[in-house]
Amino acid sequence: MSKRNRETTRRIDEHESRLTSLYEEYYDKLVRYVYVHIGDREEAEDIAGEVFLNALKSLRSGQEQGMPSQWWLFRIAHNLTVDYLRRTSKRGLVPADSVVLLGDDDPADTAEKKVEFERLIEAMKKLTAEQREVISLRFLWGLTSKEVGDVLGKSDGAVREMQRAALERLRGIMGVQR
Amino acid sequence: MTEDFDLILDECIDRISHGDSLADCLSDYPAYSERLEPLLQSMYDVQEVYGSAPSADAKRAARHKLYAALGKRYRMPLWSIFRAISRPAMLATVAVLVLAIVGALVVSSVFNPPTLVPSPDGNFAFLISDKPGDINDFENFDVTISEVKLQPAGSKEWLRLTPEIGTVDLTQVQGEQFQEIWRGDVPAGQYSRLRVYVTETRGNLKSTGQTIDVKVPGNVVHMPIPFEVTDDTVTIYTFDITVVGMADDGTYMLKLQINESGTYQQPKAS
Repeated sequence: MSKRNRETTRRIDEHESRLTSLYEEYYDKLVRYVYVHIGDREEAEDIAGEVFLNALKSLRSGQEQGMPSQWWLFRIAHNLTVDYLRRTSKRGLVPADSVVLLGDDDPADTAEKKVEFERLIEAMKKLTAEQREVISLRFLWGLTSKEVGDVLGKSDGAVREMQRAALERLRGIMGVQR
Repeated sequence: MTEDFDLILDECIDRISHGDSLADCLSDYPAYSERLEPLLQSMYDVQEVYGSAPSADAKRAARHKLYAALGKRYRMPLWSIFRAISRPAMLATVAVLVLAIVGALVVSSVFNPPTLVPSPDGNFAFLISDKPGDINDFENFDVTISEVKLQPAGSKEWLRLTPEIGTVDLTQVQGEQFQEIWRGDVPAGQYSRLRVYVTETRGNLKSTGQTIDVKVPGNVVHMPIPFEVTDDTVTIYTFDITVVGMADDGTYMLKLQINESGTYQQPKAS
């Protein structure tokens, strides 16, 4: 094997090793990110798994040369989510997850809460993709507004405005009186 | 005005994400509290609905597929690290990586609460118990707890403990029976609340042998019961849950027994 081939093999090995670490660190976050956008937990779990398989393909095909990072995975997840939504929009909306709650409430309260959660999932679908992106990165990925701005190419002020607008819209759609 | 509100909302979201309470934030901004509260409540709802960990099965399956595609487990050989360090160009890369790691550690110390060390003669023990109920429908019913977090009163930080026994079969801990899942030293003082992170709940029905998975939104149970830990006693915290069958559709849910849960003190063994 030539020196160049050895170097290439070593680089791919390092990158694949990094990918396995990223899997442990970011799989859960990717599931949540996709779940916010598509509203179906099981599909979100499948898509998050696909993210890593696609990442591996890109590494091996030489399409991706740099060290794998969470942002690269995020980009793949974003693209797969867009593809999924494009496909499913032709078949109608994805049904909301059914949830069984753990709590100290009566079963009647629990059932009411379950309905409320399903309404929230439906309400999330009515936000713009960008608003869902802000909510997902801010509340579930744990980024600051400045970091979300860097990801989306917007100022932190614009992110704060979108964040407030998204939350107000959610309240408006749900019409919840507490 | 709107800009101010956006900043305040943003600050409250950050504070709550780091363990501060909604009430604390509202009391700091009384002029905005009426407008802030419903929006922050929506944030809680979003986190509760979407923030849960994926199912352990799905995660295992995804990991299996990734490793099958990899063909083998890749690890960077040690010799290649030393060889890389010997090159001047790589030295700069290593320096950047070291800085990144230090940065990541700083970030991780903010987002990951300190983990408490277990010890057999510690001053705090965490127990799981199960009030008898529809649990008798099950041959076994496993609940897996990944971690427990405790919040000292008046603090924004959380302390974390990782159970030494992660999975408990609820059929074995009914009534007065219990399973201790962690014991160790916890800083003495008042604690305002506790969170239990449940990753898997699964049981096998006696009647049909069917396996029932019970989803827990957010995979977290909030225990809003204040308690005190002292240095000269052992504080025993019991987390009591029960399985309840829903008569109408044959599904089951887990129910927190708030009245059966809480702490009591025991003399410390000398």
